Amino acid sequence: MIIPDHFALLSLPRQVDIDRDALEARYLELAREFHPDRVVAADGAGQRAAVERSSELNEAYRTLRDPVRRAEYLCKLGGIDLESTDPKQGAPAMGHAFLLDMIERRERLAVARDGGDIEAFRGDVERELSAVTATAIAELRRERIRSAAEQLVARRYLQRLLDEVDAGS
Amino acid sequence: MAYSDKVIDHYENPRNVGSLDKDADDVGTGIVGAPACGDVMKLQIRVEDGVIVDARFKTYGCGSAIASSSLVTEWVKGMNVEDAMSIQNAQIAEELSLPPVKIHCSVLAEDAIKAAIRDYQAKHAARAPRSEPVTEAEASK
Repeated sequence: MIIPDHFALLSLPRQVDIDRDALEARYLELAREFHPDRVVAADGAGQRAAVERSSELNEAYRTLRDPVRRAEYLCKLGGIDLESTDPKQGAPAMGHAFLLDMIERRERLAVARDGGDIEAFRGDVERELSAVTATAIAELRRERIRSAAEQLVARRYLQRLLDEVDAGS
Repeated sequence: MAYSDKVIDHYENPRNVGSLDKDADDVGTGIVGAPACGDVMKLQIRVEDGVIVDARFKTYGCGSAIASSSLVTEWVKGMNVEDAMSIQNAQIAEELSLPPVKIHCSVLAEDAIKAAIRDYQAKHAARAPRSEPVTEAEASK
């Protein structure tokens, strides 16, 4: 599978820390250049190609401007695709203790809803979410892809838990 | 995406929700997760004389994941352990008419029942008296 190079398209170095201003500037410049309205003279194939380039550009921009999506994308470039269940190249499986904790926290969430401190529960999950995201980014700076991917998978489980907290309030 | 009637039925009236004592000798517990979406599933069985007499689950995830685990607990009650071990996710997906994007939910349920059986077998392999030799294949599970 060929992974599109979002960094190259937006003229940015392939790294986890990016220059946001440079990203915005380059995106706007290319968005004008690739805009399908600008290729009115082109034939059908030319028009389609313009639409495709615009769509690739938007995908690149959406991926790179969001720190989590950018981190997940860097893992994918590094050989670990979080959307895949492949044991080697897919999302790393979490350990038993982590999954057990995710189950037990749902049970504590039910207690917290039933007269407990739901805000404290939410605060804990939010702090952990920030912590694993920060660790994932730090690991990517050191080019430790697998370790970063593990943190990003933990983040997805925590995000799911947070969604449940929010859905019930 | 439209859920099938069977998925909606299990989602609205899930069978066998709950927990068994995970430390009990006759209980096996399987806990699995789906890294792509963050769903988690706990499935437990109670075994008497090689037959699954009770099954419970708790699933925190989408309707298809809940329905898949609910269905599996219904199926395995009364089954012997070996037969339950051979349940395939395709059977679950077919019964619930899961669309391709939800096949991973049936995989999760298959993984959960297998993990529960392995946990039960591991408890018994560890505690088996010397007069009942444990095969290497069982011991390594």
